[in-house]
Amino acid sequence: MTTDAVDAQVVAELWGVHKRYGKVEALRGVDLQLHAGELVALLGPNGAGKTTAVGILLGQRRPDAGSARLFGRDPTRPAARRSVGVTPQEVGFPDNLTVAEVVDLVRVHYPHPAATSELLGRFGLAEVAGRRAGGLSGGQQRRLAVALAFAGRPQAVVMDEPTSGLDVEARRRLWEVVRAFVADGGAVLLTTHYLEEAQALASRVVVIAGGLVIAHGSVEEITARVGLSRVRLRAPSLPELPAVTSVEVTNGSYILYTADPDELVRALSLQGVPFSGLQVERASLEEAFLSLTGGAS
Amino acid sequence: MRIVLAHFKDQTLQHLRAPGYLLPTMAMPGLFYFLFEGQDTEVGLVTHLMASYAMWAILGVAFFQFGVGIAEERTTAWERLLRTLPLSAGQRLGGRVLSAALFAAAAAAVVIVEAHLVNPVRVAADRWLPWTLALLAGGIVVALGGIAMGYWVSRRAATAVAMLAWLLLAYLGGLWALPAELPSWTEAVSPYLPTRLWGEVTWAAVLGQPSALGDWLGLAAWAVGFAALALWGYRRDETVRST
Repeated sequence: MTTDAVDAQVVAELWGVHKRYGKVEALRGVDLQLHAGELVALLGPNGAGKTTAVGILLGQRRPDAGSARLFGRDPTRPAARRSVGVTPQEVGFPDNLTVAEVVDLVRVHYPHPAATSELLGRFGLAEVAGRRAGGLSGGQQRRLAVALAFAGRPQAVVMDEPTSGLDVEARRRLWEVVRAFVADGGAVLLTTHYLEEAQALASRVVVIAGGLVIAHGSVEEITARVGLSRVRLRAPSLPELPAVTSVEVTNGSYILYTADPDELVRALSLQGVPFSGLQVERASLEEAFLSLTGGAS
Repeated sequence: MRIVLAHFKDQTLQHLRAPGYLLPTMAMPGLFYFLFEGQDTEVGLVTHLMASYAMWAILGVAFFQFGVGIAEERTTAWERLLRTLPLSAGQRLGGRVLSAALFAAAAAAVVIVEAHLVNPVRVAADRWLPWTLALLAGGIVVALGGIAMGYWVSRRAATAVAMLAWLLLAYLGGLWALPAELPSWTEAVSPYLPTRLWGEVTWAAVLGQPSALGDWLGLAAWAVGFAALALWGYRRDETVRST
């Protein structure tokens, strides 16, 4: 790869990546770029191919077609991963090592690591430094996994569902750390199936479903497309209504998916629809994707 | 090298804190030597048996640290995290090998010191080096066997398989008794087992007798076979992992 002025700030990229597991096509031609100083949220329902895409970007798996680059290098080579910190989706630690020993072991792999005590303090783990890592609570183990991603003073951090299982306070602290890292010029690739998380952090959102990138753009653009609300109501019948993405009916009970619930409810009232039992909830991303792709994923 | 040493330390600390590993590998060979061989006055016999139990001790470390260790770790989230670090498979293996070498030396030393304390064993001054080399050569072969086991045996079965293989190979290979004392039915398999071949070259080395080229070739064949199986298992594990 040639490194010209534009490529210089590309930290990681995938081009036309395909990956098949037996009969399942996990990725069907995915392009992705991560630049210094941005946070890209890789958003998609479970089974969309997010973890596979991240695995290929980190050299854990080889693509069947297409290619991956990390700091301009082949990510399957250990040296390409020297400036990247990773928080895997599943975390677990040995029963026979202390938290400090785990941190020290990980630090050794990097040329200019952060100090162990500083790292433990930053992620609220100082008081458990001497405890066996395998015996920590789920939330503490996840925080340790996040701390390890920053152990090597990375230029890029890849986090696969980092906040699942974290309480609100821990999630907020993690978000602060991530924001400060990005403000300092760090690059973050974060997979999540929480739209809120993408909204809180991302400079750019890439939506992946069924092994394809189905949308990408700013947080506002993506929110407009996938940030659907679910409106439930009972009514004998419904007229043509604005802003409705899809409709499900069972026995006079309607579920409407809409990007603009206010507009929808106003229209229902203005047209004198005799509805009852109105409920408005935020649709999950899964529902939004199903609604967008017509159930095909 | 710094990375290899860090993994050496990691492996060593973890195993030192695991009684399930330490007890069989460090205590059993010395204990069995005392219980089953006891005290005797015949110098050649007790020296031969000391060499046998030292091999058995090394075999235990090979099967438990590589076999059970790899089988238990390779499917864990921790192992997956390690794979995201700038760490090569060779560096990780290097740390494991150094740590196993330390434990193997300690386990063999327990038997050797004990034998010197309870029995009139005698190793001529010029036989220590050939003996050590023979132990090392066979140790490499059984370590490859342990690595192969680690990649082919499931984590649930690993401890049982390692224990069974450890005991059977010791018995059939003539490490618990003189090969001549083995029941006649074992003659069909015993001479071809890695433990027996290792025994033949080691007993020859420690007692100052010439070793047969055939035994060395047999041992080399096992090394090649185990290495191929280990590599195949490792590759298969890599593919399975990416699903």
